Amino acid sequence: MSTVDNPRKALEFLQGTLEVLILRSLQSAPNHAYGISQFLEQQSEYEFFVDNGSLYPALQRLLQRRWISAQWKKSPNGRRAKYYRLTPLGRTQLVAAKSKWIRFVEAMARVLAPQR
Amino acid sequence: MREWWSKICSALHLRRGLDGDLSDEMHAHLDLMTVENVERGMPPDEARAAAHRAFGNLTRTQDKAREAWQFPRFETILQDIRYGLRGIRRSPSFSAVVILTLALGIGANTAIFSVVYSVLLRPMPYPHGDRLVRLGESTAQASGIAVTWINFQHWRAENTAFEDMAAVTGADLTLTGRGDAVLTHALLVTSNIFRLTGMTAALGRLFTEADDKPGAAPTVVVTADFWQTRLGGDSNVVGESLELNGTSYQIIGVLHPGRKYLWRSTEVYLPLGRTQSPSAKRGDHRSIGGLGLLKPGTTATQARANLDAIMQRLARSDPGPEDDHRSYVAYLADVMIGGDLRATLLVLMGAVGLVLIIACANVASLLLVRSTARAREIAIRVAIGAGRARLARQLLTENIVIAAIGGALGLLLAGWCLHTLILIGPHDIPRLTEATLDIPVLLFAAAISVAVGLLAGLAPVWNAGRVDLTTALKEGSPTAGTGRHSQAFRSTLVIAEIALTLMLAFASGLLVRSLIAAQHADPGFNPQNLLAIELQLPGSRYRSDDSVREYYGQLSQNLRGEPGIEDVGFVMCPPGAGDCGDYWYSILEKPTPAREDVPLSLFNVVDDNYFHAAQMRILAGRPFGDADRRGGSQVTIVNEQLARQSFSDPQLALGKHLKVGGPYMEGPTLEIVGVVANISQEGLDAERSPTFYYAFSQNPSSAMVVTLRTSGDPAQWMIAARQQVSALDRNVPIQSLRTAEDWLGATLERRRFATLLLGLFGGLAMLLAAVGIYGVLNYWVSARQREIAIRLAVGAQRSTILRWAGFHATRLAVIGIILGAIGAWSAAHWLESLVFGVTARNPLMMLLAGVAVIVIAALAASVPLWRATHTDAVRNLHEA
Repeated sequence: MSTVDNPRKALEFLQGTLEVLILRSLQSAPNHAYGISQFLEQQSEYEFFVDNGSLYPALQRLLQRRWISAQWKKSPNGRRAKYYRLTPLGRTQLVAAKSKWIRFVEAMARVLAPQR
Repeated sequence: MREWWSKICSALHLRRGLDGDLSDEMHAHLDLMTVENVERGMPPDEARAAAHRAFGNLTRTQDKAREAWQFPRFETILQDIRYGLRGIRRSPSFSAVVILTLALGIGANTAIFSVVYSVLLRPMPYPHGDRLVRLGESTAQASGIAVTWINFQHWRAENTAFEDMAAVTGADLTLTGRGDAVLTHALLVTSNIFRLTGMTAALGRLFTEADDKPGAAPTVVVTADFWQTRLGGDSNVVGESLELNGTSYQIIGVLHPGRKYLWRSTEVYLPLGRTQSPSAKRGDHRSIGGLGLLKPGTTATQARANLDAIMQRLARSDPGPEDDHRSYVAYLADVMIGGDLRATLLVLMGAVGLVLIIACANVASLLLVRSTARAREIAIRVAIGAGRARLARQLLTENIVIAAIGGALGLLLAGWCLHTLILIGPHDIPRLTEATLDIPVLLFAAAISVAVGLLAGLAPVWNAGRVDLTTALKEGSPTAGTGRHSQAFRSTLVIAEIALTLMLAFASGLLVRSLIAAQHADPGFNPQNLLAIELQLPGSRYRSDDSVREYYGQLSQNLRGEPGIEDVGFVMCPPGAGDCGDYWYSILEKPTPAREDVPLSLFNVVDDNYFHAAQMRILAGRPFGDADRRGGSQVTIVNEQLARQSFSDPQLALGKHLKVGGPYMEGPTLEIVGVVANISQEGLDAERSPTFYYAFSQNPSSAMVVTLRTSGDPAQWMIAARQQVSALDRNVPIQSLRTAEDWLGATLERRRFATLLLGLFGGLAMLLAAVGIYGVLNYWVSARQREIAIRLAVGAQRSTILRWAGFHATRLAVIGIILGAIGAWSAAHWLESLVFGVTARNPLMMLLAGVAVIVIAALAASVPLWRATHTDAVRNLHEA
């Protein structure tokens, strides 16, 4: 294992982060799995690579917790797809998780790269 | 919570839909990607292929998504179990050894546990059995002696610790008027006994307070057994009368079968209060025992303090000779199981536990050998992506499958062992016959099976976690995984096995030695060719002492006339019958002892000829004789033990006076006219207690045992003896008819039982240890085959190889034996109560056990060592 991070390699999701990001991606509108993965990759400027092997189990977990719900719908290009939307419970979870993660990221940054 | 609920729902009905739905969703996902690719200008085929590539493994993604809905990997567990079963089939001989070892360990443990559970742990079969206590009085010397009726009345009325208390006393009454006279075991009880023990009436009613008062009409409640066998199961029996000892009792009820009072075999119940005089003195002792039901949350100690306070108050308000008496309160469960029996069972449980540990060590080392042989397989699986946790789980599951099969087989074995145990076990162990493979026992078996599976299985898992991928894959030889740490671990297991085996060998050796000592203990009389007839004269026919004297005199004369009967004597309490009664005494010629120092002695009654008939040695003075008539001076003969407690020489006891009851109690004064050798009154392996003998002529007793010295096997005279008794008076029931050797032999039943079992466990341990030593050394040699071949090829002698391999084996054995000796030495005090005639810390026995273990180890090691020295160097090196 190398000790210096390879900037060309996509970042892996830390434990628990993918779920929060999925919730965030559904904040403005319902979306399907492919749409979610595209949204996350674009928003992170391709720092994140969304592996379907992680995305689908994460979606199932969110469904189990009733934070999102799913429904088959027609996509704009006329294809049938399963759309996920935030439930009210999921929305409150998102608010809580968002502030927690922002605090976490800022704290990490302060420790790792202190501004003199 | 929410996740679990969703999972439960999905497990119940959503599951099938989910699979199709996931598949649809992912295909839709692929379609979307394909469409995008086409829009970017790819040809459709290529667009679809690119989408597939970008998506990743479709099936695996589906699996992982589905897994999110499943309970902790139930499917993978099933898969592991299947895999484990396949592994067992693949190496049948290996699996057979492992499973058999486990079955032996688990089976023996389950069988012993079911005995321990039934005898020691199972709740008493009474409502609130955990709050039932035995009540009695205690003095400085003896606790648990009878309570007097008056004291009991005070306790019952004034205590604050008990919900209720009942009084009980036994009596043997002769039933007449219904065929031959038979002796029935009656229990005189206060009316509340039925409520305390949960006994209920199947017919009629039970005693009320009114039946239990002085002057009440005589009533009787009979047991279901008695009703069936003696009253013919007649449902109209209530209201009829029963003649017991000449008094007519009205039958008022028949009990439900099943429940009984403690272990005593009772046939009829009579009210106790009816026969008690309220004007009795506080010190009037009969043999009344009490049964108390503690209030919830009250302990026996608190209850004792409560009753002691009442006793102290009574000592002030109603002083008497027994003012120093205090109460005795003990849990029924503890009373039923004597300390010796508890110790015996716990030692057995411990021993069988050690056997299980040895079996476990054996299995662990076998599994370890196999898992190192499988190192390559494991390495491949790690290489193609099996997670460490997944591998560990799979290995553990395999081991638990093996343990479960071993456990199931062990259970079969346990069932069979238990059957045998109950058959051969001593009959005086309470509730032994009730031992079955019931739920708690099955749970125990399951628990130890799983524990053994996990423990034994952890060794290879621990090892697998350390598999070095590259070495294992590259080596690919049988030496893969023979690293230093796994070898050291196996060696540790062998050392532990040897140590534990030594401990078991030592313990079983001690017990065998004790049994031999007990069997050869001098009983103090000659039990050969001695027949004992236990008689009880019905009180209704033999009311006066004269009639009792006359009956036994006549019987003795008639029996003497029988050819082959050489001598006749009678005794109240024959050798081996135990403690038939003890009392305080003092020697008048000696300084008066303090109240709490008055010694106790057993007492017995014998006729003039008994010592001669039993061939007991008279050490000083004379036996009873014609001079010791009624009305003459009261005499006694004491045993050597009693004489030596007061006098340096038995001769000095002659002419001195023994005061029965000691200085503080009423009782006759007896002149000591003889000193007789000690005999094994309470058993061959029991201490010799002080005893004094009354002369039958001066103190006749209606219950006597007639002993006959015969000229051959005493069993041949049994019929003649029966006929003589019946001819003299057919209303006299024979309580028992057996040889003196049977009386004595019965006292060793428990010892034989414990010795047999411990011996078996010792043997089992040796067998298992031998298998373990063989397995590990054999593997050690296999792993070094090439090294040995090279050494031989470069000119090493076979003797050098033998020394090298032998040194390895000897080192393990020596360390194991040293550790085992230390363990056995420090655990020896546990055996103290089981050892007789030798000390528990017996160096000779330790030496013998050590030698036995060394021989076993040497035998087990010889095959691998032979293999080591006969390695064919040329062939081995060519093959390599």
